[in-house]
Amino acid sequence: MSVLELPSTRQEAWRWSDLSALPELARQPHGALRAADDLWIGCGGPRLLFVDGVFDAARSDAGPFAIGQITSDASSHPLGKLAGREGWSLRLGRDHAPAGTVEIVHLATGGAGHVAGEILLDDDAQASVVQSFIGDGWSNQATQIRLGRSARLMLARRIAQGSGFTSLADDAALGAGASFTTTLLAEGAGDSRVDLAATGAGEGVYVEAGGALLARGGQHHDVNIVLRHAGLDGQSRQIWRAVAEDGGTDSIAARVEVARGAQKTDADQSLRGLLLDRTSTINLKPELEIFADDVRCAHGATVGELDARALFYLASRGVPPVEARALLVRAFVADALDRIGEEAVREAFGGYAQSWLGGAQ
Amino acid sequence: MALLEITDLHAETAGKPILKGLSLSVNAGEIHAIMGPNGAGKSTLGYVLAGRPGYEVTGGSASYDGVDLLAMAPHERAAAGLFLGFQYPVEIPGVSSVQFLRTALNAQRRARGQDELSAGEFLRIARDQAAALGLDFEMLKRPVNVGFSGGEKKRNEMVQMGIIDPRLAILDETDSGLDIDALRTVGDGINRIMRAPNKAVVLITHYQRLLDYVRPDFVHVLAGGRIDRSGGPELAHELEREGYGARAA
Repeated sequence: MSVLELPSTRQEAWRWSDLSALPELARQPHGALRAADDLWIGCGGPRLLFVDGVFDAARSDAGPFAIGQITSDASSHPLGKLAGREGWSLRLGRDHAPAGTVEIVHLATGGAGHVAGEILLDDDAQASVVQSFIGDGWSNQATQIRLGRSARLMLARRIAQGSGFTSLADDAALGAGASFTTTLLAEGAGDSRVDLAATGAGEGVYVEAGGALLARGGQHHDVNIVLRHAGLDGQSRQIWRAVAEDGGTDSIAARVEVARGAQKTDADQSLRGLLLDRTSTINLKPELEIFADDVRCAHGATVGELDARALFYLASRGVPPVEARALLVRAFVADALDRIGEEAVREAFGGYAQSWLGGAQ
Repeated sequence: MALLEITDLHAETAGKPILKGLSLSVNAGEIHAIMGPNGAGKSTLGYVLAGRPGYEVTGGSASYDGVDLLAMAPHERAAAGLFLGFQYPVEIPGVSSVQFLRTALNAQRRARGQDELSAGEFLRIARDQAAALGLDFEMLKRPVNVGFSGGEKKRNEMVQMGIIDPRLAILDETDSGLDIDALRTVGDGINRIMRAPNKAVVLITHYQRLLDYVRPDFVHVLAGGRIDRSGGPELAHELEREGYGARAA
């Protein structure tokens, strides 16, 4: 087996990541197959199941998807390039939109599973995709996203492995007037690293990237976002909420780059962390790099604790401490998760977050 | 047996003694007004009885319906029937009043071994109570107290009290921030919800004006961390005329 080349924490973009478990995870064998009936949210659209990175045709309904070799450029991301060229491809022609939200479930049984994905939307096409990463092992995916003029993509991800590691590397390029909304819910009990690099080359692109990271018990969630505005009138919104307890660590580095000439860019970043105890860590790093003079870029980053006055107010009305905490934390992450446009997905994600929080000690 | 029996209660906050030997006995069916100058310990009394963290009891006892109140967690006190009306109701962004109160009421019902209310049953109660207190029900769909005026927050406290229907209400300056019409509405609300043979109210107030609407059976003066003087409703009028300093002087 070849030696796994991994970035080190000495590299700035990786300094909060802990990849030390990956070589051992990669050496593990795959585990036993399990039933998949409970894996789906049930959005009425096509369904794809990957088990350890391999497409499970019998339990999928691929709809407009092609399975096999992807056609996009290979990922240059240190983990993304390990994902290889085999995977899924959603290619939609002009004005095309599949019925319902597409669900892709990645089930890990142990060992490493690598998948490449691509979403190529021609002008005015639109798609809504929800991905779930569950099971145990290392699940690694690189996704190339290309949106034509006025194409629209809604992408929701849930990282919920019981153990192991989930790594996602997205590379998105947006044409004029294209809209890309991506929401992440990182929960479960495994570690994760999510990278998104999105470039809006055309005029009037809209990018929304956000989500909720929930970590406890030595768990690490690590998100790295780079949004590049290269055209006129671009807009981006980032709402990230991180919750950590019992030795959990969440890290979010979110950078907005405004290229020379990308005038009238309007970019907002809201990064907020909630520490439920003093043993946990939240790292927030908002960054702005601006080379145009007529832009509006706002960023805010705060880390705090639960409001003791609110906890007492809830208790004084009879709400027990665990429920009171769950109510306040749920409200905290709702800012990010309520951005999900598809009702079924929004409600499902809200429910997943709620059960994670309900289990809080 | 008194519903609330406080004996020689001592309490401090931030290391500073506030209550210094306070005793008070409140029977079911009674309304007690506690008046006193600023800084006398009126709010501390409410917080200590409701169990606010940071307020430490250093001596004495308080029992509710024969049970040691001070040994219970704040949410258990609420489930047992104690309600604290806040002088400064807390804003909770992201949590609607409806969600908050349904969670609270059902948690209390569970603790008492009762069935939880369905969404429909709860909403009917909430609507009725909001209407009775003159609070637009739509406001209960908004985050708890966020963007409410002072008067709206106080009305909301009373709506909460109506929904929760406690046995013992400790109302901390519920009259502050209310105009004359709101004062009447809130006063009517207290009478409607709490005037019953099995219930009692401790009305903490700085001024006599709420007592025009909620007539107390007993009036106490809290000064220097203890009950300094007790009497009937006429004591409130006397204090209004002469001020808290008159007697001390």
